[in-house]
Amino acid sequence: MSMKAFRKIFADELSFVFSCPAILWQSVFLYVPFLLLVGYSITDFNETTGTWFLTLAYYKQIFASLYIQIIFRSFFLAALTAAICFAIAYPVAYFLALKVPKRFKTILLFTLIFPSWTSLIVQVYAWFFLLEQNGIISTVLRFFHLISPTQHLLNNYFTIVVGMVSCFLPFMILPIYAVLEKMEKHYLESSADLGANRFETFRRVIFPMSLPGVYAGVMLVFIPSFGEFAIPTLLGGAKYIFWGSAIVDKFLRSRDWRLGSALVIVGIMLPVLLTAIVYAFKKIRIYLVTRKSKQYADYLSTHKELWG
Amino acid sequence: MVENRKYMGQFFMPLMVAVAYLFLYLPIFVLVLFSFNNANCSVAWAGFSLKWYQKLVSSPEILDALQASLIVALSTTFLSLLIGTCFIVASRWGGRSSLFSNVFYVNILLPEIVLAIGILSIFTFFQLPLGYGSLIAGHTLLGLGFVIPIVRARFCELDPVLTEASLDMGATYWQTFLHVLIPLLMPSLLASGLLVFTLSMDDFLISFFCSGPTVQTLSVYVYSMIRTGVDPMINAISTCFLVISSLLVFLLCSLKVVDQVLGHD
Repeated sequence: MSMKAFRKIFADELSFVFSCPAILWQSVFLYVPFLLLVGYSITDFNETTGTWFLTLAYYKQIFASLYIQIIFRSFFLAALTAAICFAIAYPVAYFLALKVPKRFKTILLFTLIFPSWTSLIVQVYAWFFLLEQNGIISTVLRFFHLISPTQHLLNNYFTIVVGMVSCFLPFMILPIYAVLEKMEKHYLESSADLGANRFETFRRVIFPMSLPGVYAGVMLVFIPSFGEFAIPTLLGGAKYIFWGSAIVDKFLRSRDWRLGSALVIVGIMLPVLLTAIVYAFKKIRIYLVTRKSKQYADYLSTHKELWG
Repeated sequence: MVENRKYMGQFFMPLMVAVAYLFLYLPIFVLVLFSFNNANCSVAWAGFSLKWYQKLVSSPEILDALQASLIVALSTTFLSLLIGTCFIVASRWGGRSSLFSNVFYVNILLPEIVLAIGILSIFTFFQLPLGYGSLIAGHTLLGLGFVIPIVRARFCELDPVLTEASLDMGATYWQTFLHVLIPLLMPSLLASGLLVFTLSMDDFLISFFCSGPTVQTLSVYVYSMIRTGVDPMINAISTCFLVISSLLVFLLCSLKVVDQVLGHD
């Protein structure tokens, strides 16, 4: 064997060895634990006979009780957060990408993204501090008799939504801005040249082209807010139980690991389903577009005589 | 119609921007302001003072938490950069498709609580004590999800001729890695390193599940303080968090400029 061939093989082996740690880390700390959770959720221990057996009782318990409601409540909260974030973020991203002079863009974008760079706990505490019983907003509202002296601004659903939106808003702005910023401005001119007014240009050119950014933003907001634990706990008190807080309760307080594992797995299925739906939408759109253009091409080729 | 158009452009969208700013900055502004308040009160202003910061520096619990956070964040940054870079370089040089690296997006896409539960369950299953090990394991898992895409994007931009030239001229793979690849990858390494460091410092969920009874990171400590109610000391810690992360963002932004300059060359 020549030296060069040996070196080649050696390099191949070595490259394999060096790519192992990452894969190993991923497997040991993500995939194996996931299998472990699946295992926990479908087995149980019979104390009288001392044997292990397979069971779907925990899943049944989840679907038959409050837990499925908790999961849907989290789903609704996450969807609401994503929708409000979208409603605020789209105009902001649009304004930033298309209306603001170039030299202000960086500083505006930077200041909008900055709060999400600090700890989530800090952001939540900031809202907590602002809204608490003796906080500024409560005092001002009480001064004008807009709320009664005993009324709390914390510990309600609205506060949770406010906290969620302000924490996750930058994750919606950024991807939409990125797509709009990269968009060729000639398209807008051509659309105007072809007779579309501004609204039509927006509806048929700008918005469809910004959809990838919207999808990314929705994923980036929906998924963390679905599993969020700190915001509902600190701003909503113990009144509202969501998926995240139920998991914390099952794993850290009541130590009911088997039910907790089933809860985790049922809960994960929802975002996975959502991802699949978004993916399917994209595929269907691409399919429809290609079919349309194919039909058009077919039409042109069968009616060649029309254009000579 | 013309009026309507003007209304959209000149009034509605700037208004939304203002709403977004108010939403993001009003709480932070009040928070920072009252960290300098001389009284333990969240409404009345009793004069400027730094006494909460003094209390902060003299509290051994907070210093311990800070130390734990720094240990975890630094080792996480080091480990995820090392493992991530090795993975990217090895799998690109080995000629395997980079399909495998898409696997790491899962770490970002899954709700963080799932990663936390996973780490907790595997450590408990093998009866390993929770502490620095589990914290670093969890944060590195999260870090890999950011390091690998960022470094890979930079690697794909590089001209393969550079490494080929280095190898042709007789450099070993190790020398090429050290003297050619690492300098070329440096902007992305620095950027992702800063990102992972910030993530690890700020992370709450994984720390909350995996810190165990002995170790307490800063964010978990702050969380437990908030549970007992409002305290200007939390304002002071939060202000420190804000200052540090703004410095890091500033660093990152200036690095991005470096990256662009290098990318255009």
